[in-house]
Amino acid sequence: MLYACAEMRVMSKTRWLVLLAGFLGCWSAASAQDVVLIANKGVQISEIKNADLHAIFMGEKTRFADGSHAVPVTLKGGAVHEVFLKKHLGESPGDFRAQWRKAVFTGQGAMPRAFDSESALIEYVAATPGALGYVSRISPQDKVKCLAAVK
Amino acid sequence: MPRRMALFLLVCICTGSLYAQDLAGIEIHGFVTQGFLFSSNNNYLTMKSSDGSVQWTDGAVSVSDSLTDKLRVGIQLHMYQLGDLGGANVQIDWASGDYRVNDYFGIRAGKVKTVLGLFNDSQDVDAVFLWILLPQGAYPIDNKSFFLSHVGGEAYGGLPLGERAGKLLYRAYGGYAGLDLNGGYVKQAADAGVVFTTAPGGNIYGGDLRWEAPLKGLTVGSSARIQALDGTTPMASVHVPPTFISADYAQFEKGKFYFAGEYRRFPLNTVVTIGPAVIPVPQDARSWYAMGSYRFWKKFQVGSYYSHYVNKALDTRLPANYSKDWVVSGRYDFNAYFYGKIEGHFLHGTGTGYYDSTNPDGLKPNSNMLAAKIGFSF
Repeated sequence: MLYACAEMRVMSKTRWLVLLAGFLGCWSAASAQDVVLIANKGVQISEIKNADLHAIFMGEKTRFADGSHAVPVTLKGGAVHEVFLKKHLGESPGDFRAQWRKAVFTGQGAMPRAFDSESALIEYVAATPGALGYVSRISPQDKVKCLAAVK
Repeated sequence: MPRRMALFLLVCICTGSLYAQDLAGIEIHGFVTQGFLFSSNNNYLTMKSSDGSVQWTDGAVSVSDSLTDKLRVGIQLHMYQLGDLGGANVQIDWASGDYRVNDYFGIRAGKVKTVLGLFNDSQDVDAVFLWILLPQGAYPIDNKSFFLSHVGGEAYGGLPLGERAGKLLYRAYGGYAGLDLNGGYVKQAADAGVVFTTAPGGNIYGGDLRWEAPLKGLTVGSSARIQALDGTTPMASVHVPPTFISADYAQFEKGKFYFAGEYRRFPLNTVVTIGPAVIPVPQDARSWYAMGSYRFWKKFQVGSYYSHYVNKALDTRLPANYSKDWVVSGRYDFNAYFYGKIEGHFLHGTGTGYYDSTNPDGLKPNSNMLAAKIGFSF
């Protein structure tokens, strides 16, 4: 809860509620319909639009709204990966993979780093400035911050 | 055949864990495909397809690394065998440095893929398509290595127009592109007695502007390519003055549906000089296609397209000057890395993809074809 207190002081009631929902989600298991968005603690923003998530994870944007560099990371597969793609990016795993293959094999982009396990992903996000990912849940001991997704 | 199968298996085995390798930030990806083609009449794409042919293998490996937040470098090596074309030559598909200043502007330099229409720069990436053969009037597979890339550079970027107006994506490029000595145009020239030992080529410049509409999934765009070409042999020379090639296209993707269409114009005023004889070879190629597909479930997709090509500079009633192809396709993804495809072609006319040397007894105007492919990509 300590993470974003400074930012919260100046936020509207709606944003408070969005953030509160995000933080509550951090410490509970995400339902099958949702995931927890996490970022490196150095990332200054506390919420992110789904449109920006889509742009960052599809390689169209390389920066957060505050101008800092974004490093998207993914899981290699599984239910959490599929829920994230469907709910936040509006993509199927097949389409996501195909679009990145197209970018990679035409020299237009580098695929986001992908992890076998959530623990490895959390560890990477904690250690990498600008890293942004998703997991089913985190614990208070994890050294990452949660982001709230907004429409 | 054993060599091709060995190559296919080797790439599959060498990839080990089936995941793209990542060595401290260096990304390695690759793909390999093996195709089969059977035609009821004629031999297509220099293969002995009327007997059934497996002379159709593609493979590529790309290596890239992000040196800084803004700078990325990489290279992709590519080998292909398509009937008599390609062979044991490793080509550089692209090799470039990419400096992305911000989300609105970036530059690439080196050997870079050339944008033209919806699929030109990705036409060799079989894994991303449902189709085995893209519409041949617009994307002739026997000449793909000529159209794919150029040596030079390009500027690229995106301009958001606001939530209600979508986004504009642009690319502008310039450089030099040469024919593939093992590709279709050089083979056609050789069949006509003009044998190149050095690759003809010329300057190229152009660009692409596409609008991602606020209606999610809709993209509309237009590309232009201006290409000159010169080549000499001990006996002859070929000259193509700068030629304007245009492509206008649209695609729409919603849920399990995908639709796309494109119109291409490719006028050429080629002049072949053999001794004192100056021979004009007129071409005013116009082609278009319309395609649609539906994903029945995650692993299975079907689709169909119609591709139309006609050379307006010549008598369009003759089969040699047109090509009309009805196509049905299916694709099954066994997992995230392996897939298989099957495709039927009902081809009228002989305007694209046929060679005198592999059809010594002449061509019949129509042919049906069955194509199949398996592929692996990591």
